[in-house]
Amino acid sequence: MTVKKSRKFSDATVFILPAVLLLALVFVGPLIWFFIQALASVGTPAEMLSYAWTIITSKAVVTALMTTNWISLMVTLLVLLISYPLACYLANNQGMRFTLVLFCIVVPYFTSIIVRTYSWMVLLGRNGIINQVLLYLGVINEPLALLYTKTGILIGMVYVLLPYMVLTLFATMKAIDPSLMRAARGLGASGFYAFTRIYFPLSVHGVVSGSLIVFILSIGFFITPALMGGPSDVMIAMLIERSVEIMFDWSGAAIMSLLLLFATLVLYGIYYRVTDVRRMMGA
Amino acid sequence: MTAPKAVNPGRRKFTTGVAVAAVAPTMFWIKKAAAAEQVIVRTPGGVFDDVKKETIYDPFRKETGIEVVPVAATTAKLMAMMKSGQNELDLIDTGDSTLLELEKSNYLMPINYDEFKYTNPADIDPVVKRKYQVGCFIYAMVLGFNTKAIPVGTEPKSWAEFWDLKKFPGRRTLPDMASGTPSLEFALIADGVPMDKLYPLDIDRAFKSMSRIRSAIPKFWDTGALSSTMLADNEVSMGALWSTRAAVAIDQGAPLGIQWNQNALLAQAYGIPVGAKNLANAKKFIDYSSTPEAQARWLAKYKAIPVNTKAYGATSRDLIDPATKTPWTKSKGFLLDINWWADNRQKVGQYWSKWIIG
Repeated sequence: MTVKKSRKFSDATVFILPAVLLLALVFVGPLIWFFIQALASVGTPAEMLSYAWTIITSKAVVTALMTTNWISLMVTLLVLLISYPLACYLANNQGMRFTLVLFCIVVPYFTSIIVRTYSWMVLLGRNGIINQVLLYLGVINEPLALLYTKTGILIGMVYVLLPYMVLTLFATMKAIDPSLMRAARGLGASGFYAFTRIYFPLSVHGVVSGSLIVFILSIGFFITPALMGGPSDVMIAMLIERSVEIMFDWSGAAIMSLLLLFATLVLYGIYYRVTDVRRMMGA
Repeated sequence: MTAPKAVNPGRRKFTTGVAVAAVAPTMFWIKKAAAAEQVIVRTPGGVFDDVKKETIYDPFRKETGIEVVPVAATTAKLMAMMKSGQNELDLIDTGDSTLLELEKSNYLMPINYDEFKYTNPADIDPVVKRKYQVGCFIYAMVLGFNTKAIPVGTEPKSWAEFWDLKKFPGRRTLPDMASGTPSLEFALIADGVPMDKLYPLDIDRAFKSMSRIRSAIPKFWDTGALSSTMLADNEVSMGALWSTRAAVAIDQGAPLGIQWNQNALLAQAYGIPVGAKNLANAKKFIDYSSTPEAQARWLAKYKAIPVNTKAYGATSRDLIDPATKTPWTKSKGFLLDINWWADNRQKVGQYWSKWIIG
């Protein structure tokens, strides 16, 4: 018994080992090295703590954290609102319709994010296609400020993050037994009632895990807000980049990165609790 | 083959494919490294490299047999590389400010002008002939404008006019802190500080001056591409941007104009990192690419001002002031003090972070 069990264990370990090694080698190792290098230059642990405190409580970081949270929250809600019906449609259709919608959602996912962001800038600019059309139709008298505003960031990020939510929701919804809905209807429930009492509760863990994924990805977003946001829309990742690239303030960057990493890990912890990861993978 | 028979050939093929794909780039690298003499250079990449390959790298290989291998790296990556002692570069081709930061951390070796064989060191513009770096071309931060929104000749002729929202209404852009150097100098000039009395910059006064036009600035640019895109799309009608960026956009047909008055001189430069494995080749490359011929050939295609004063004759006419027959940077510009910026960048950055959200 014990022999068999340990072999089973070692089999599994062998399969996971390359991934773990790779992760340790190219991610965890350099990360720790970076934090040590960056923080050691500050001085004693006491100095380090007081330095960290100054950075975390500085107006720039506090504001950036608030902006980051607000934008991430809005993005998550918007993505959820758009994705839910889409995923529902995908889960309940087959053949051409399914393929076509899935294609439209997934293909942009494989395009470079910078290219997609610049495309949005062409569409949303003051002299962009959207404003031109609206002006021509007389809907508006003056170009809308779609670009270089929070609206711009939201549009860009929602678009980029949509596939993550749709695919997560789709996996959950596909697992819902359609006969449950039929039974509810057969027993006299209205469509709305059946949806709110049967379908939605069954899909809710997909909603939670999808939202967490999108939120986690949002708080670390950099390219889209940097390109499409206005001057004061500074997200935490942009502050980190500026500290590393421009000011060579690696200690400050390390502290902000730790903050971001901590937030991500906490959220991931929740995600792990809420989601049955194996079921998500289709096992 | 010792592989168990149960493995189906399709899967094995796949596994082999993955293995080859994983190893192939390394093999390619080794093969390339073993091929011949080479010099590994950090470059900005993109169009910059395309032009330089044709006009400098290829002729250099023909002349010396040394192959130039361009590698992309951000400033942070350079710093990390040097800090960890894992330098794989022989030469760094980047902005003068970045090189100065590397120099201050003792990551650069001095340039030995005495060893030059192709170039006469006396011909190199003294402004960019430094101990630890030598310019490869000169450019400037200039006042650019969209010629459809503002016809040539009616554009602001000074930073004071650029700052005048009544006389010149319209949206503008200026560099963000993330570009490395926000336009504090222009803000001070607009506020009445003479061009030759800028340094040390009065940071407080500069930000107060910038606050006056903040409302007309929808976006501060962080990368050169964004600055020219915004101007070309008439997202803003005028702005401060790099002359090289403007020139690339103009060559591509964008309606952009340049007003050279009160431009800030900047340099792209070479520095040799400590630990360069092909040191002699790196030196030879600097020497070769500073000749009047190489400079003329290269900078006729990439619109920038040569560092070799003997190459002025072949420079694009757009870059030469017809009144003085010298480059615009000489006749109308001032030298951006990278030393001041290296000492104060962090302070300005902190100021900026507060100012931008306020």
